[in-house]
Amino acid sequence: MNTATVPAANDAARACMASLVLSLADNKAALARRYAEWAVSAPTLESAVAAAAMAQDEMGHARSTYPVLKGLGVEVGDEGLEGHGHRLQLLDDELPDWTAFIAANLLVDGVLTTFVAACADSSIAPLAQRAKKILQEEGSHRVHAEAWGRRLAGGGDAQREALRARLRETWEHASRWLGPDDDPAFAAALQAGMVRRGPAEQRDQVRRWLVGLLGPDMVLDEPSDWSRWDPERRRWTP
Amino acid sequence: MSESRDAVWEVFARKAYEEPLHHVGTVTESDEDLALVAARSIYDEQPWVHMIIVPRASIREAIRA
Repeated sequence: MNTATVPAANDAARACMASLVLSLADNKAALARRYAEWAVSAPTLESAVAAAAMAQDEMGHARSTYPVLKGLGVEVGDEGLEGHGHRLQLLDDELPDWTAFIAANLLVDGVLTTFVAACADSSIAPLAQRAKKILQEEGSHRVHAEAWGRRLAGGGDAQREALRARLRETWEHASRWLGPDDDPAFAAALQAGMVRRGPAEQRDQVRRWLVGLLGPDMVLDEPSDWSRWDPERRRWTP
Repeated sequence: MSESRDAVWEVFARKAYEEPLHHVGTVTESDEDLALVAARSIYDEQPWVHMIIVPRASIREAIRA
């Protein structure tokens, strides 16, 4: 596909999707690096191998997502795992502990995958094709995140509280990735069939899934403060 | 992380449906879902079409020479 094949899409919709797709790929590249760091220090050999496998998946997803940008009129170079700076601030540095790793596994991976699922029948054909493959591989990431989430939440009051704190911290960043719900460019992308669900609806999916998984005390809020959100890099600075 | 993680699962797999399952190794993990993820991650060197895990504690010996 090239830009000429989506004549009905207005420039705002296309620019919005280009921003999301570039940041999706950058965040996947960054997540790969953060996962890989824990492949040598996870609490069990089994989880270390799972972290390595998830890192490998994320690298592949980043690699296969960047070329989608060409069809949206954006030329990007191959920056490898460095990306182009359009990643969550939370992923700039090593995740500080295993609980932070699981919070990222649940919410960063969760938000990105929810967006990919909303693009599974996108009018941007290369994005829809990649979405299907990514969703296939993300299944095991979700199983890993859910099982560790349940384990940490059930591991006593201190561990549950530590998980809740990490989830809230992670949500501050991950929830804003999709942008505010009243973004007219996102609405145009929805209208053009490039993505199926809006930002608030996708966030609500993730929030309801988490409460269903871990209990009502793990409720997360819809973000209201956008004052420190950089729309170009899709990045929240606390 | 107070939960015990010493549950051992035997991992079996096959590369074609007409082949029997072969023992390929073990994983140690108390959570069944994580044991499945670990088995797929660790024993991914072959293009398996089928993989199962069995808790070692469920195995009963029929013969022991």
